[in-house]
Amino acid sequence: MEGLVGVMIGATRTLMREDEDRRAIELRLVRQAQNGDLVAFERLYRENERKVFGLCYRLAGNPELAEELTQEVFVRAWRKLGSFRGDSAFSSWLYPLTVNVALSERRSRRRRDARIVATEDPASLERAPRPPAPEAGFDLEKAMAALPPGARAVFVLHDVEGRTHEEIAGLLGLASGTSKAQLHRARRLLREALAS
Amino acid sequence: MTCEELDSRLDDWLDGALAGEAARELEAHLASCAACRERKRQLRRLLAHAAALPRSLAPPRDLWPGISERISRPSWSGFQLAMLAAAATVVLAFGALVLTRLAPAGVRTVTMPAASPSGTLVAAGGTVSDPALAQAEREYEQAAQALLEALQRRRALLPAEDLAKVESNLQVIDRALAEVREALAKDPANPELNRMLVATHRKKVDVLRRVVRLSTEL
Repeated sequence: MEGLVGVMIGATRTLMREDEDRRAIELRLVRQAQNGDLVAFERLYRENERKVFGLCYRLAGNPELAEELTQEVFVRAWRKLGSFRGDSAFSSWLYPLTVNVALSERRSRRRRDARIVATEDPASLERAPRPPAPEAGFDLEKAMAALPPGARAVFVLHDVEGRTHEEIAGLLGLASGTSKAQLHRARRLLREALAS
Repeated sequence: MTCEELDSRLDDWLDGALAGEAARELEAHLASCAACRERKRQLRRLLAHAAALPRSLAPPRDLWPGISERISRPSWSGFQLAMLAAAATVVLAFGALVLTRLAPAGVRTVTMPAASPSGTLVAAGGTVSDPALAQAEREYEQAAQALLEALQRRRALLPAEDLAKVESNLQVIDRALAEVREALAKDPANPELNRMLVATHRKKVDVLRRVVRLSTEL
């Protein structure tokens, strides 16, 4: 038993060391990028592109738009890099920036992009439910994309990304009660789509 | 507990945010209501489905070249733009100060040159194409020149100290114009610089117009 505990402690220490090493490498890349090193910034991009694209894709509900948003996130990250002090992981610093870019860009595009306007009507999903689909073929990504934007953002952040209502309230500038109400609405709409 | 009450609390219960008596009431209702049990089953399935989605998704194409191109593009830094805006603000503030100090009641107006460019500069979407920008520059320069000539004729009427400040600030604007033009030569499609050039011209004409108007009132 003591041997097993020793192995577990050793493994934990190894993981912690690896994590520290990773953070140290990341911080060095950030410092280099802050001094204008584009190669270092590309490495930071490569490390984070999938997380950022995944979040943009789900918040925007549109793959083409998600590509543009991902690029915008990293362009803004480059410009704001001077404000990164290294207190947190680079990905943590990037997270609110990604949410902000995805939602603010979506709002500004909404005014001029009819394809997004089509999903902006909060009642659209209720009025025109998707055609029945067998449960095995239920496409959650597609159903999330059809949600009203506010409900979609909260569902993605809470149920896919695992954020708390307090964190979501901070990210979206909402009261946590509003976040809960949006989540309830999103779950109800998705549950109905799942059952249809 | 009614089915409606359960519906409003089911999220909290599933998220582990409902405890004590409220949780026991909800569970008792579930035990006695097949419809609500089905609702709970569907919701659990949905949440499991959502939690199983991968958080990371690979973009369908390499997005780095577009990012690299944008961040490598020569452009004015925020500091430079802020300095330019500050210079223009100084001039406008000075113009307002002069008017406040010296303008008597019953202000007369100075007619702008007929080729006033307002309303003809900015294309739809807020960007200015090159020919339109060149035309706008010509029109603004004509307007500024006409006002400068008017000012020249009246310069004896203005206090020397104020005139020196006006001329100094006009030099700041002219330097800013030259710098924006230089930046535009390197990055002609930059909408920020296009807007900045037009705005700086407009401010120059506005300042001149104010000073000329003031001189006619002295």
